[in-house]
Amino acid sequence: MALEFELLEHTSDVGILARGDNREEALVAASHGLASILVDPAGFRPLEERYFKAPGRDEAAQIVNWLNEILFFFDTDGLVFVEFTIDSWNSAEIIGRAKGERFDIDHHELRTAVKAATYHQFESHPASRGWEIRVFVDV
Amino acid sequence: MQLEKIDDYRWLIPRTYKPGMRTDTVIYASERLLQAIRQDQSLEQAANVAMLPGIVGRALAMPDIHQGYGFPIGGVAAVDEEHGVVSPGGVGFDINCGVRLLSSTLTVKDIKAKLRDLVHQLFRDIPSGTGQSSRIKLSDTDLNNVLEKGPRWAIEHDMGSEADLDHTEERGCIAEADAYAVSERAKQRGRAQLGTLGSGNHFLEVQFVDEVFDAQTAAQYNLEKDRIVVLIHTGSRGLGHQVCTDYVSQLDSAMRKYELHVPDRQLACAPIQSPEGQRYLHAMAASANFAWTNRQCIAHATRGAFKRVFGDNVNLPVIYDVAHNIAKRELHMVDGRQRRVVVHRKGATRAFPNQPVFIPGSMGTASYFLTGQEGAMRETFGSACHGAGRVMSRSAAKKGVTAKEIQKELESRGIIVESLTREGLTEEKPDAYKDIESVVDVVHNAGLAARVARLRPIGVIKG
Repeated sequence: MALEFELLEHTSDVGILARGDNREEALVAASHGLASILVDPAGFRPLEERYFKAPGRDEAAQIVNWLNEILFFFDTDGLVFVEFTIDSWNSAEIIGRAKGERFDIDHHELRTAVKAATYHQFESHPASRGWEIRVFVDV
Repeated sequence: MQLEKIDDYRWLIPRTYKPGMRTDTVIYASERLLQAIRQDQSLEQAANVAMLPGIVGRALAMPDIHQGYGFPIGGVAAVDEEHGVVSPGGVGFDINCGVRLLSSTLTVKDIKAKLRDLVHQLFRDIPSGTGQSSRIKLSDTDLNNVLEKGPRWAIEHDMGSEADLDHTEERGCIAEADAYAVSERAKQRGRAQLGTLGSGNHFLEVQFVDEVFDAQTAAQYNLEKDRIVVLIHTGSRGLGHQVCTDYVSQLDSAMRKYELHVPDRQLACAPIQSPEGQRYLHAMAASANFAWTNRQCIAHATRGAFKRVFGDNVNLPVIYDVAHNIAKRELHMVDGRQRRVVVHRKGATRAFPNQPVFIPGSMGTASYFLTGQEGAMRETFGSACHGAGRVMSRSAAKKGVTAKEIQKELESRGIIVESLTREGLTEEKPDAYKDIESVVDVVHNAGLAARVARLRPIGVIKG
């Protein structure tokens, strides 16, 4: 199954429903979903790499922290990631990497600023076809 | 949900509504606004707020209430300072998001011919902060000083005057701020964002006084019909977002230690007197100081832009600057006795008697200048509403309309808009929000804050 995500919207919320063959793939799909809220991801290349470390007392905290890494590097380095690799995921943390390119206002399209990923209506579970993650972000 | 009607502007969710509620929740709304409020989970969230350990009085929701994360936006809760908890979710990710209003001696007639130049100059001089860096370069020491001193730092660097502090809530500085309670990651995220507007519903508007409701109070602030004012709506940017993120995570882990239980993880909290609670309050105060400094720096850039377009004689003194996402230590009368409480205001403006309260609209819609009333001290821990609240999702707002069309439509109504993003126009278009007049009617008629003047935009810059 290909990585896929859809954006969910309520009145003031934006959410990501991501699917993959397994939990790791669903998280990668959710990561692409988050990038697509921030910018139009078309045209970004995998030029720079950053290491992600997302600790947490449970899976929800780890996933929320992983997605918050994307926001951190966007705010600090202007990086938009287009490739994500999960190296390990245990009960304490997710370790991985992401590759992307710095946002350039003259060449890329900015969409919506995101403040944070949240636990609001969070879900992560096996689904009929692989794994599903749902996470809402504060925009 | 079955609500008990108290009167035309007040509705009760009794504490018996669900197990765990420690007090009643009161919703300030008209019957019509309530219909919109029922469309999302905000009433459920308002009931959840009543479960916070140590809550005193009632949990409260303002007429612009809408679904948030943990707390609803438009929620107010006071907790006992000795025995209560503090919750980062009760402040929100944009710590000290707020509004600063600048006055002028200019009228619509004075600026009309050069309005397009002015909006363009403001757009050039005030970066949004996404994809455009701040013009202000901060060393580590500078950033720590901003966090602990607030806008005084800006004034020491020739970006304003002492009079600006006199007209800022808390004089722009909560003393318990501790720069060392703010993580390095939060500092990295905020370092290049001082003096930047941000995007989403944040904006700077050149407005004129469209209608005066209370001439005597308006005169105290040099406001009369057609007078030009500038409204700045922004907060603590990425720094505040990261502080909230950091402490939701830390308090989420600490809750087990303190045997605290809340119905929603975004309501993660810790006892105010615990090391974790204290540390959050120190970091939140530092973020609030950063936000006041941010609005100070933007006000300074605004003054520069006006001078470039209209000459050096233009002054834009601060009318007031007030937060609408914050937790404050305050003294309030509760059940006939004075108590020290921490008031969480998330999407709610402090509205102490006679204090200016600003309710920003959205681009084409009006904003309001109110003053706090005694009723707010009696009922809402000195709080009123903060905006209109969305009624339309962002994708619904974008559907079938382009940024250019919105820009053109606004121009036909005499409003010049410059936005860095298409989304800044389409997602935030005026009809994506509740009717601000009906929100203001409720706080006015409920005696929380009284109308002074209505302000209409003629120039808007957005991220």
